Amino acid sequence: MIIDQEKCIGCGKCRPYCTAGAIVNHPKDKGTGRKAFSEVIRDECVECQVCLRAEVCPTQAIVEEELSYPRILRRAFSDPIYTHEGTDIPGRGTEEMKTNDVTGRFKEGMIGVGLEFGRPGICLRLKETEKALGKLLPLGVQVEPHNPLTQLIADFKTGRLKEEVREEKVLSAIVEMIVPQAKVQEVLAAVKEVAAEVETVFSLDMISKVEADGALPCIREMEKAGLKRSVNGKVNLGLGKPFAG
Amino acid sequence: MTHTLHRRGSREELKNDFVVMSMSAKTVNVKGSGEKMRRMFEILEKHPHVNFGDCKTGSKFQQDWGYIRDRFQDTSVLAYVFNDRAAVEAALRDLKEADLGLSVIVSGVVDEIKDLAREIGLKPHTIEFSGGIHGRTELLPEEPVLEITTMCGHAMVSPELVKDLVAKVRKGKKTLAQAAEELAQPCVCGIFNPKRAEYVLSKLI
Repeated sequence: MIIDQEKCIGCGKCRPYCTAGAIVNHPKDKGTGRKAFSEVIRDECVECQVCLRAEVCPTQAIVEEELSYPRILRRAFSDPIYTHEGTDIPGRGTEEMKTNDVTGRFKEGMIGVGLEFGRPGICLRLKETEKALGKLLPLGVQVEPHNPLTQLIADFKTGRLKEEVREEKVLSAIVEMIVPQAKVQEVLAAVKEVAAEVETVFSLDMISKVEADGALPCIREMEKAGLKRSVNGKVNLGLGKPFAG
Repeated sequence: MTHTLHRRGSREELKNDFVVMSMSAKTVNVKGSGEKMRRMFEILEKHPHVNFGDCKTGSKFQQDWGYIRDRFQDTSVLAYVFNDRAAVEAALRDLKEADLGLSVIVSGVVDEIKDLAREIGLKPHTIEFSGGIHGRTELLPEEPVLEITTMCGHAMVSPELVKDLVAKVRKGKKTLAQAAEELAQPCVCGIFNPKRAEYVLSKLI
């Protein structure tokens, strides 16, 4: 995003809306007489478009620039209205457990593990995800091929991303995995190491299909790993058709 | 997507925060799902709610209900937010009866949702939990601010906006309700709960 300096009056109304701390207000310079103005620090902007959609600028000074690759990835990963070319759905994850009643993606004996880098609201440079991918891919985990981050991996042995995308700043990027239950503790131990190394935050997700007796393997695994489980969560009610079982 | 998973708060507060969502599976039942989602949107409208939306089009605080209803696509992601358990139960009973064949996901306190499902005669299929926030957690804002911002799981609601509106309420420039609605506005998917935001804001004033 760009703030047109010809139009900006430096009112500062846009700044609180910025999700990435990329808008800076400059007061009037009494020495030089330079007027007050706001500017978008381009390398900090994640192209989420919240400032534009807020429609608080009294002079319509906020404009979007035409984005090309790799900068368009900032918008793809940060603006939920923007549809990823790779997933054809908005947002930066995939259907995940939301459609598991019809896709059967998370089967019994398998646990879904997700690391939502940058969430909540801290952002990240995409290269931060290499700290997770580099530890988890060698464990043989299955990363979700339709996830937009997976589509940026250049080397599936090391987790290195394509060179041109590594420095792009985004609101969040998700490492989505399916892990055999027998391997979950090993994966969670690696996740703890990742947590000690990252320069951002990540939110951890754990998914399991409800077993016939109502048990949830992901709860057992979280307790074993000493992870605090949320009281709230997401429940797929099994209404989808054709039912995958 | 896990944009409704990491809503923060105590069990007591989260017991009145439900998000009902639906989407089609791209490789299974996507064709013609837009029309089914439109019907689902009409069904859920009848039950008392505090927000709604489609990630592809916008939310209650950006577009009219009819505008959103008329633009459902096969790859839409529908959401309604409720702050009343009875309303959710009635809504889910209607969805079960309608038997539209689309996946329905309810976000909220899991035990409450499991009880609801049992009462309605539904069997939860898959469940997802949050394992918390890790890494440089010292970068996070204070907890009440997080309770508000995490209601938009895509992080469209900036902590700075929360602080800006708290200052305005303190100065008498806005009411709590006005501030809560302004916080709901950036959440394009319509999963933000403005009633809950109003309550949390009152703790910050």
